[in-house]
Amino acid sequence: MKYVGFLVVLALTIALAVAVSRPFGAIPPLAPLLDPNHGFWQNAISEDELAEDELELKNLSSEVKVVYDENLIPHVFASNAADLYRAQGYITAKHRLWQMEFQTMAAGGRISEIVGPLALDLDRMTRRKGLAYGAEKGMKFIQENDPDSYLLLEAYADGVNQYIDQMSDARLPVEYKILNYRPEHWSAYKSILLLKYMTDMLVGDRDLEYSNLRKILGDVMLDKLYPEYPSGVEPIIEPGHKWNFNPLSVTQPDSIPYPNDQLVIDPLPQPEEGTGSNNWAVSGSKTKSGNPILANDPHLSLNLPSLWFSMQLTTPEHSVKGATLPGALGVISGFNENIAWGVTNATRDTRDWYKITFQDKTRKAYRFGEKWEQTTFRVEEIKVKGEDVFLDTVVYTHYGPVVYDKTFNSKRQDINFALKWNVHEGSNEQKTFLLLNSAKNYEDYNIALDNYTAPAQNFVFASNSGDIAMRIQGKFPLKWKGQGKFFMDGADPRMEWQGYIPNEQNASTLNPSRGFVSSANQHPTDSTYPYYVFDNSFEFYRNRRLNSQLSEMSEITIEDMQGLQFDDYYLHAAEALPIMLELLSSEAESGAEAKKYLSLLKEWDFYADPNQKAPTLFYIWWRKTYGQIWKELSENVAPIVLPSYYQTVLFMKNEPSDPVFDLKNTSEMETAASHVKQGFEEMLADMKKWEADEGDFSWANYKKTTIQHLVPQFKSFSVENVYTGGGSGILNATSSRHGASWRMVVELGPEIKAFGIYPGGQSGNPGSKYYSNFIQKWANGEYLNFDLRTSDQAEGVLFQTILN
Amino acid sequence: MKFILLTFLVALLVIVINPFLPYWAIMILIAILAALVGIKGAGAFFAGGFGMGLAWLGQSIYVSSISGSSLPEKMGELMGLGSDMALFAFTGILGFLLGAFSALSGSLFRKLFKRKPDNIYGRS
Repeated sequence: MKYVGFLVVLALTIALAVAVSRPFGAIPPLAPLLDPNHGFWQNAISEDELAEDELELKNLSSEVKVVYDENLIPHVFASNAADLYRAQGYITAKHRLWQMEFQTMAAGGRISEIVGPLALDLDRMTRRKGLAYGAEKGMKFIQENDPDSYLLLEAYADGVNQYIDQMSDARLPVEYKILNYRPEHWSAYKSILLLKYMTDMLVGDRDLEYSNLRKILGDVMLDKLYPEYPSGVEPIIEPGHKWNFNPLSVTQPDSIPYPNDQLVIDPLPQPEEGTGSNNWAVSGSKTKSGNPILANDPHLSLNLPSLWFSMQLTTPEHSVKGATLPGALGVISGFNENIAWGVTNATRDTRDWYKITFQDKTRKAYRFGEKWEQTTFRVEEIKVKGEDVFLDTVVYTHYGPVVYDKTFNSKRQDINFALKWNVHEGSNEQKTFLLLNSAKNYEDYNIALDNYTAPAQNFVFASNSGDIAMRIQGKFPLKWKGQGKFFMDGADPRMEWQGYIPNEQNASTLNPSRGFVSSANQHPTDSTYPYYVFDNSFEFYRNRRLNSQLSEMSEITIEDMQGLQFDDYYLHAAEALPIMLELLSSEAESGAEAKKYLSLLKEWDFYADPNQKAPTLFYIWWRKTYGQIWKELSENVAPIVLPSYYQTVLFMKNEPSDPVFDLKNTSEMETAASHVKQGFEEMLADMKKWEADEGDFSWANYKKTTIQHLVPQFKSFSVENVYTGGGSGILNATSSRHGASWRMVVELGPEIKAFGIYPGGQSGNPGSKYYSNFIQKWANGEYLNFDLRTSDQAEGVLFQTILN
Repeated sequence: MKFILLTFLVALLVIVINPFLPYWAIMILIAILAALVGIKGAGAFFAGGFGMGLAWLGQSIYVSSISGSSLPEKMGELMGLGSDMALFAFTGILGFLLGAFSALSGSLFRKLFKRKPDNIYGRS
């Protein structure tokens, strides 16, 4: 009897121990999660309480000192580059391990491993557009051409891996505990993959949409609604700039037979609306101190843990500080003792699609001119949590991968398009940042940039010696006018890119007479630049506001530049609202609500500050009006893009009775005024609902800026309803989900003064007090001191650690 | 007396050893401890349960109070429990169950080797 009793209890005990060690559906294993010594409770402890005087890091040539300032910004002091990047890897992993790994899992198309079949289509998409393929090419390229950088990449990886191997269960980031997986080792490949992922985030193309538009509208109407150079554009490089080079020639085929199908396939995911950035530098002639000042604020999805991690990286040769990208070496946007630099996305169509004609069903060959070229097959092995491995065969042509085919997302089985994208060519972006980190002058900056392929960026520059510069750097294909705007026939060799614009012919400017350089994702140059430049997503508002402010300003201080980064002036509203009010006839003004709203709009100073009510009214009214104007276009089943806000406002202003406003399927002849009125009515209906449900319609409360955890389902790890102004198309580009992901202002000179802030915190741990502590300051337009520190500086130290 | 002793020893075990060993190792140690202390069924069950349950509850309260972190609330919300109180309770209950069954197993294991007539001394 007692044996039975014992065995029954023992069995129950073991069953219990096993049950709490296993996941049930989405519920993670309970005991490892709830154990106060190893589980999530341990993640409640902040970094300062865990500070250690010494930590073990092998393979260093001498000890490395890491000083954390009161904001948990690590300042790494190493005796050489290899030690520095090994320590950077170690320290970054210590604070941001889950995020850096999760992002590379996404980049490698491996999310299904973590979350299961839910993410399979996303992973297939990532694989099929060839990000991992591009990273493999990139790795080979660096190994062959730049073994020194490769060694540094390996040192960084070693630092990350030493941290992973030392890490106790208690310190395992809480996301691993909830999602029930563990980190794997880092590698040089992953750092490269991460930079490819940035390209994917920032580069888009609208070739599919433009192909459809061309079919729907015809060339003439297309050019009218979507002019490549609308009037009033203010390019990045100052107008009138002289191009001191002999351009390469590009031969345009006499006739261009485009594939003429209307396509209903889903377009490739695009960089999200609101992704953009500002940067500028003013020369000493315009500043109070006589020193140049540089500013940069990249706009991206607002996420936690933040995309950026601030660091100072110091060796006896250089000392650099700014925003690093967890997973990549060095500082991405920052400054050292001699120079400062910053980046904005140089959006340009560098991604083209070629229709592939296969010889037969085996897809082993495709037509190219008179010949049949061989394809290669790449089998993507996608592990899926809880299921069998998914094998996806992707056909590669000399253009690139055939992303959509009969097995993936194509509703028409006979259509195969290959993606040509410079991310698939070997390149070494990491080198650019390594060189910029230690650059001393304008020449060094240019040498650094020569290594840079994608994602194309507008690199702003300022130096101690007083230079300011801007260079639009990427590997840009040489194109004849219109090439790559639409899908092309891959069987026709004349459709091939004819080479690349040489680096020294990329648009750039040094110390222009106007005393400043600036960029905000607009057209790179005026129409005199001798190469074809096209993109659908050039921005029209931030750049004009920025340039008009910079032109007017003099005696500029750091505070002025900070103010400009936080500038809420809504230029689009300032241009559109007076036209809309004029087009709205008085009959709509009956009704108390209409009168109330109109008077708010009429009194408005066009600043989208958080407490203002008019921006909400304008925003809704505009969106409704815009939707109404392009209603017929947007009702197409085939994917298209709509004309820009800028162009739409130009039509409303200059040709309010033009046939572009007429909806063909109604009996009346619509004008701009009809749409404005209709939009106003719809706005009244929306506002009625909003006021009933929510009450307050002040701008911050309406746009509800949210800084979302990388796993959107982890809502309590996000910070919602941040009270701040700005919006899309405004210098302070903070919309609901996008905005300044990093703000930096640096004054060069004998002593560098620097300020920075980002919407997050240094810690990647949602339980830490350093996880989201910058958000309130960021939302108020405040900054943290980012001055360079020396290793023995005593004030403002949170703790320090020796790595040995 | 043995009840209080075992409760205390289990709690001590959890506090001192658990930071270095996973919960299942602690379970084995609790079973051994219960066998060594020699306490009968129900007593072992509750002593092991309270020892580990209270230790886990205490540790979770300690960690969250010294850190001042809002993580327990965030986790409670994330797990659909509504509040952090439920998480403290769950942690305590889970600790209780693990400790209780381990100690009971240990106690019953000892019983296997016990000689039949030892109750002639009138004590267990």
